[in-house]
Amino acid sequence: MSSQLNRRTFVSAAASVAGAAAMAPLLSACGGGSHQKTGANTKAGLKAALPAYVPSTAVKPDIPSVSGGGNGAATDPAFLHYPTDQVATVSGVPGKGGSYTAVTPLWGTIPPAGNSFYQAMNKALGVDLTVKPADGNNYNTIVPTMTAARRLPDWIQLPAWWNNAFNTGELAGTQLADLTPFLAGDKVKKYPNLAALPTGAWQTCAWGDKIYGIPCVSTNFALAGAIFYRRDSLEAKGITADQVKSADDVWNLGKELTDAKRGVWAFDDVWTYLSLFWGVPQQWKLVDGKLIHKYELPEFLEAMDWHYRLAKSGFMHPDALAGNNAGQGTRFYSGKALIAGGGLGAWNLADYQSGTAADKNYRRGSFNVFAADGKSTPSIFLGPSASMISYLNKRLKPAQIEELLSVANYLAAPYGTREYTMVDYGVEGVHYTMNNGVPTATKEGQKFVQATTYPFLASPTSVISNQGADVVTKDYTAWAAANVKYGYEPLFWNVNISLSQSLATAAAAQSVEDTIKDCYHGKKKVSDVQAAISSWKSSSGDRLTRWMTTNVLDKVGTGQ
Amino acid sequence: MSVQQSQDTGRPVRLNWRMRIRRDKTLLMMTVPSIALLLVFNYAPLFGLATAFQDYDPLIGVWHGQWVGFDQFRQLFHDPQFWDSLKNTIYLSFVQLILFFPIPIVLALLLNTVLSMRVRNFIQSVVYLPHFFSWVLTITIFQQMLGGAGLLNQYLRSHDMSTWDIMTNPHTFALLITGQAVWKEAGWGIIVFLAALAGINSELYEAAAADGAGRWRRMWHITLPGMRGVIVLMLVLRLGNALSVGFEQFLVQRDAVGHSSADVLDTFSFYYGITTNNYSYGAAAGLFKSVISLLLIWGANKLAHAFGEDGLYRK
Repeated sequence: MSSQLNRRTFVSAAASVAGAAAMAPLLSACGGGSHQKTGANTKAGLKAALPAYVPSTAVKPDIPSVSGGGNGAATDPAFLHYPTDQVATVSGVPGKGGSYTAVTPLWGTIPPAGNSFYQAMNKALGVDLTVKPADGNNYNTIVPTMTAARRLPDWIQLPAWWNNAFNTGELAGTQLADLTPFLAGDKVKKYPNLAALPTGAWQTCAWGDKIYGIPCVSTNFALAGAIFYRRDSLEAKGITADQVKSADDVWNLGKELTDAKRGVWAFDDVWTYLSLFWGVPQQWKLVDGKLIHKYELPEFLEAMDWHYRLAKSGFMHPDALAGNNAGQGTRFYSGKALIAGGGLGAWNLADYQSGTAADKNYRRGSFNVFAADGKSTPSIFLGPSASMISYLNKRLKPAQIEELLSVANYLAAPYGTREYTMVDYGVEGVHYTMNNGVPTATKEGQKFVQATTYPFLASPTSVISNQGADVVTKDYTAWAAANVKYGYEPLFWNVNISLSQSLATAAAAQSVEDTIKDCYHGKKKVSDVQAAISSWKSSSGDRLTRWMTTNVLDKVGTGQ
Repeated sequence: MSVQQSQDTGRPVRLNWRMRIRRDKTLLMMTVPSIALLLVFNYAPLFGLATAFQDYDPLIGVWHGQWVGFDQFRQLFHDPQFWDSLKNTIYLSFVQLILFFPIPIVLALLLNTVLSMRVRNFIQSVVYLPHFFSWVLTITIFQQMLGGAGLLNQYLRSHDMSTWDIMTNPHTFALLITGQAVWKEAGWGIIVFLAALAGINSELYEAAAADGAGRWRRMWHITLPGMRGVIVLMLVLRLGNALSVGFEQFLVQRDAVGHSSADVLDTFSFYYGITTNNYSYGAAAGLFKSVISLLLIWGANKLAHAFGEDGLYRK
């Protein structure tokens, strides 16, 4: 079994550390009070800066993308087979022999420097690119030391959910290169694989009407997550996903499934994802033209109350109530907790392999998006189209930037192309072998290639592919196709906003978030959460709302 | 020793510093690496304290940072979370002092009565071992044993008895963390007391026994007075460290009992300073803690001297 996580899992694993990636608005702190720029884009300015979109036709998926019907969302296409005749999208080598360093986060074992895969990649790319992966778990503390010393590498990955910690908004233009002159409008067509990245993903790379980043692992259907359940266990009791249409239905499942004597509880932590079904927005909601923070909405408190009662109901696994998140996977695999919230990245091949290793009947399912009251129209906000964004150093000369963009174009080659196979599997015979049409990593490949490095510099739009576990691909795509219509673009979707240090602290609302967590674990009452919210409002929350209203909403609008 | 007895008067005579350096140069050389370590890792970072009086931004740096005077402290003293964590710190420290501090002493005394070296080594190894476990591992073991889905509660549940919720109960948290600390650190804590016991002249025991003193009288009049200096020293150090009750232990269990019960000054600095990029605020909380700790250690040392003990240094 491959213990390496795939890209989507990486994102979700990292996100669970940082607090759901898709939930985090693309905020960045900017220093001191003297900086007045907000980072947000104007409509006209952004339009002029955004690269043109030219979709790729290089490879045809087995299961095509399903559109959300005008809501801006579309599911990721899926592949059941690895393409046999791999087309090439890049002719020759993209590089001109330049020498560069790159730093990316890696959630896993760091491969040795100068290994055979790095060497092969350098040959294929035509550059001397020294990749230096850094520990993903400490990445948010590693990067500020580099920026404080003004010693960023030539190319760096700055995950968007850490924009605040990295101060990305401030770095844009001072330490990070402006790519607009190279990519705006039709200029991107020089790099066809970059031109095939969705426009929404490029928006997440824009600060103050300029493009600074290259989006990695982009998608048109980013959800904060979903409510997963053990499909095998529930179906054995005659329960299917379409029977669950309201919060009451979920509650009844708690009664039916919990068997504490046998050590089985219905629920693991669900708050982060289930609370969205009450209509809780990502951060802000526009009510009668006024910006309201989610903490101040009645639906937020209703969701809070339900989850507090859930914590007290005896339907939740005691270890989940004890805040042991690390054990969530094990509890789910071993069938000790049957329903759990989680990022969509969890639904993949590695999960299938871990699950079936614990229980051969293992099958992951997800409830459909529903409205908690069972009557309203279900809706769920879309997350940013890209959360992993790489940047180039401002010190680079234009010719060097062009060279690295050509390299990025190679790395962003669509799934199943010759370049993609090189980036994701390495050299045939050395890093992988073809087994029944499935590229299978050799020992060397597992060690050097599967540790995700290059895809965090640039990568194509996400596709669903779980070679060897078609059931996962089919289950996931069926669920996504059924739910894509419920997605909506939240306020300030894909908009980067640069906050001052004190406003960033206000936006983090640590004391409120702590109390919320204690509430859905049954330690604090909803009234305690209300008290925390009102003290947050008077100390900094109201100031944040006023600032967002006058500097972002009134000046550049909602970003929609 | 900087003092020697004068041969003719019997009064102590001070050697001048050159002679002392010449005499002690080997010893002084041996301290150089640790002094270098202290300078680099303990004293040099003290400059960072400046950030407590700034609105610090890593991109701008300390030199160009904006000075805000005591603003961070003013904000800190108006923050109920801060007072909660200070209260927790003092309370947990007090409970640990009462319940934890005597245990290594008692253990050392007990171990000292075991005559067989083999049994003694065995017990010593067993009680030392948990010291080498990380807090994460220790708490996992406690969770597996005493947690809501742990061994004990599953047993109680399967026999239709009510369960015992110690791992997530905020009201008994002080007892839980002291219990964990005893399990993990008490064995390690006996080392220094065993050393003190080994330093007691065995002739004293023999003489006392010959005079008819029983076991308890010997402990009271010989063993405990022999250990008093070390006990007082450990107490002074403990008091000086009263505001450092630990970090990982609370970090790991914060979600289990809730932040208002588990936050101590160190986790407060972490959550409300570092994780929200409010570095200056965290630095202010850290500086406040250091100042109070300094006062505590100074007071405890004074007290030790008042009782005629050495404390941290001989007066």
